[in-house]
Amino acid sequence: MLPGDKRSGNSMIAISGAAGGLGKAFAVECASRGYDLFLTDLSETALETLSRGLRSAYGARVITRACDLTDPAARAGMYREMRAAGLRFWALVNVAGVDFEGPFYEQSSQHIQTIVRLNIEATLDLTHALLEFRDPYDVFRIINVASLAAFAPMPLKATYAASKRFLLDFSLALGAELRDAGVTVTALCPAGLPTTPECVRAIEAQGWVGQITTCDVGRVAVQTLDAALAGRPVVIPGWANQFLQVCGSLVPARLAAWMLGRRWRSAQKISKPAVFSQG
Amino acid sequence: MASELVNKTFLITGATSGIGLATAELLGRQGAALIGVGRSAERCRQAEAQLRRANPDARIGCLTADLRLQSEVTRLAGAAADLLAAWGCNRLDGLLNNAGTFTYWMALTADGIETQWAVNHLAGFLLTHHLLPLLAAAPSARVVTVSSDSHYAARLNWNDLQLRRRYNGLATYGNTKLANILFSLELNRRLGNGTRVRAFAADPGLVKTDIGLKGTPGVARWVWKLRRSGGVAPETAARGIAYLLADPAVDGAQDIYWKDGRPKRPSPRALDADSARRLWEVSTRMCSLPQEAQDAPR
Repeated sequence: MLPGDKRSGNSMIAISGAAGGLGKAFAVECASRGYDLFLTDLSETALETLSRGLRSAYGARVITRACDLTDPAARAGMYREMRAAGLRFWALVNVAGVDFEGPFYEQSSQHIQTIVRLNIEATLDLTHALLEFRDPYDVFRIINVASLAAFAPMPLKATYAASKRFLLDFSLALGAELRDAGVTVTALCPAGLPTTPECVRAIEAQGWVGQITTCDVGRVAVQTLDAALAGRPVVIPGWANQFLQVCGSLVPARLAAWMLGRRWRSAQKISKPAVFSQG
Repeated sequence: MASELVNKTFLITGATSGIGLATAELLGRQGAALIGVGRSAERCRQAEAQLRRANPDARIGCLTADLRLQSEVTRLAGAAADLLAAWGCNRLDGLLNNAGTFTYWMALTADGIETQWAVNHLAGFLLTHHLLPLLAAAPSARVVTVSSDSHYAARLNWNDLQLRRRYNGLATYGNTKLANILFSLELNRRLGNGTRVRAFAADPGLVKTDIGLKGTPGVARWVWKLRRSGGVAPETAARGIAYLLADPAVDGAQDIYWKDGRPKRPSPRALDADSARRLWEVSTRMCSLPQEAQDAPR
């Protein structure tokens, strides 16, 4: 049994973006480990379908709550219910995130705002709220889904990559800040995950690079939970991605941005995915 | 057996292409009434037209369902029962669980299940569960599940059945094909000797279909194209499967795994009664079906 695997009382693990590809993988892995789950996403129907399967297949205790996390009032409503129900949490997995790919100026200002609101504002707010509801008798584990895109400025994904950079820096800082308070923060930095047909097409458009950098979601969830329980600050799934991160760190940011811009532009000529969501 | 199928009704999943369509065409030519199931309404219409051309007199119905989703499988069973009732026929003489898929990358369905397990095994398991009363109403009914020789290398890992920890698309495919045989074995055991419903698993052989091309990246796609070039036409595989579904000669046969109308020895792991029972219990849970009292751990 891993340290922190024995849960005190009824405290739960909360997962945002739980009905998406990576969110489902986290939910299934947690259910199979016997954790009690609090799942949130946009669609109540999707959450119900998933939780029915998790309850039956793994005997998991699951609470679902649909919530538009980009809406501060909706979030506040969810927190009120959590407080009223006296819910306690030992972990939070911030998966909910979005990207609308394409040149910055061709995107609607609404799309740009949604990226910032969901990827940054909602993640920070949820983290802040759940620290209030943390199980006082247990270490509190936070997992923030950043991206390999957090390590370099990325033309054509400028807002998204910068939002993930924000999450990476925030996670590292918060982890150091709260270490003595019994809180660990883990930033997950995956390459593109094959979670939707659009994502698979985007991976294929990258050719052999896409092939070697892509990791299966199940394995990413297992590896990340293990890393969080061990208190590791950063998880980069896949040896090729770890290699890319090291290479990227040796290159000046301006040069990295130029190189990545060339790569993305050529990949986009082959396939133009409308939406490339990470969670 | 040209006219023998005139009053018989069969339901075939994955009936819009490949082995499923070829089998439907063969049964339809012999006068059988058919319910074909496909994912896309457009491809269903095309298949229906093709089946009508093969036999303008046959009763043909096509239903759409996304077999990745359990809610869709349950809805499909209801729609099939309604269609049969509309035909004035309250029984099903054969169910062909043929729909299959291959995924290179791991993908979870809305129910939280790995896609190949959901489509290749659980969809057939759940559909059979729902249609069993209609099958039992026939004088002699068959449940045939299309397995594959790729089950020989398979080995179920009960600690991680869906290979979430270390996913491999091909290994998962083999595992689900092993599950097809174990399912047939356990279904027969549960139905007992006095039943008029028998289950079999079929090896279609290496068939020239598009299964390895859907949602598969470059290298694997190329490998499948190379492999299937040595395969047989879907029509060849369909003959053996139609025989298993409809020929009276198969009545009373104890063999579980068949190819080209002849029994074949499956992997020893496919004949393991304990695995079959365990898989049934796991599948019941994965489909959110109530556990039967006799399955409760002793």
